[in-house]
Amino acid sequence: MSDKDTPFFVGYLPVPKGLRGLLLAVCVLFISGLAGFGLALGVAQDDPGEGAFRFDYGRQTVTGVVELTPYPLLRVTEGNERIPAGHTLMLAGGGKTNVERRAIPLEGQLARASGVLLQRGDLDMMQLRGGRNGLGPAEGVAPELPTEPLGRWKLAGEICDGKCLAGAMRPGRGLAHKACANLCLIGKVPPVFVSSQPVDGHEFLLITGPDGGHFPESAYHYVAQFVSLEGEVERRGDLLVLRIDPETLEVLD
Amino acid sequence: MNQAEMILMGLRIWGSIGALVAGVFLTVGMDRIDEDAREAYIFRPLLIPGILVIWPLVLWRWYLYETGREVWARRYDPPRRAHFAVGWMLPLGICAIIVTGLSIRQQWPADIAPERLSAPAEVSQ
Repeated sequence: MSDKDTPFFVGYLPVPKGLRGLLLAVCVLFISGLAGFGLALGVAQDDPGEGAFRFDYGRQTVTGVVELTPYPLLRVTEGNERIPAGHTLMLAGGGKTNVERRAIPLEGQLARASGVLLQRGDLDMMQLRGGRNGLGPAEGVAPELPTEPLGRWKLAGEICDGKCLAGAMRPGRGLAHKACANLCLIGKVPPVFVSSQPVDGHEFLLITGPDGGHFPESAYHYVAQFVSLEGEVERRGDLLVLRIDPETLEVLD
Repeated sequence: MNQAEMILMGLRIWGSIGALVAGVFLTVGMDRIDEDAREAYIFRPLLIPGILVIWPLVLWRWYLYETGREVWARRYDPPRRAHFAVGWMLPLGICAIIVTGLSIRQQWPADIAPERLSAPAEVSQ
């Protein structure tokens, strides 16, 4: 049976002398161990990047020509100090929603877009305000804006959803973000390809489906993994658009 | 079928079998092995989520009671004997999972340069 002299720890009583050293050692090891483990895990993570909602810019309003890739773009013709004319903005709604229902009637026309900017390096996107306050017709004749084909390319990198990548989430890429990215893509938020090295000066490319449609569901499995793919690239203003060939998608080692 | 679809299908199969077990156990089996539960029905739907998850254990326990092999005094012996080992396996397992995950994760393909396979066919408006 138990020895009555054996020290026994009871939380609400003073610590027995024989257990003080052990208790102290356990506390020190436990606390420092957890702190070290947490630090090691944090250091091992990828940098989430500097993308963020730019609420500090305030509400941005610009005018431009609406194009559908089918993801809605605004080719800015009348910008402001943050968004210059000639820039091409990707457009998204609140949360994981798109703005296609508002953009389709305005395709090829001048429109005024208003909302908050998301920005990550040279990638940006506008989250529009609700209804016609966010996207509505503007007076004037829409200029004809060129689309420049750049040929067929083989690229390596990662497929992300453009909104989270631009700063709606941190991290906005990587496996930990895969489910969120796919939910955004199901909501037809513009997908973006992050290239391993710049393509014609651009690290980010808007992705569309092979037939001018949306990013195909069959490719959702490849989102957030490092992949290689082939596709046709074209330039719309200062934005590159990649029309992917899903048959060429391969996960890299 | 990709990994996500396989995981989803596995969960569906597991849950479907669990639903079948829950249906049979809660309507037939419980009355046979637990006399205190007889003519008591309101609480039974509350057990469905648990049975969906641990239906093999439910079947095993049901089998022991039905065959008279249940020895109540020894019921908690296995978890007691395993407690020390499980106490170590849990933290070590967590560490192993983290280390394995970090070691097999993909590396950013920084050395793969974009390659133009063909020139543009034409300039569109």
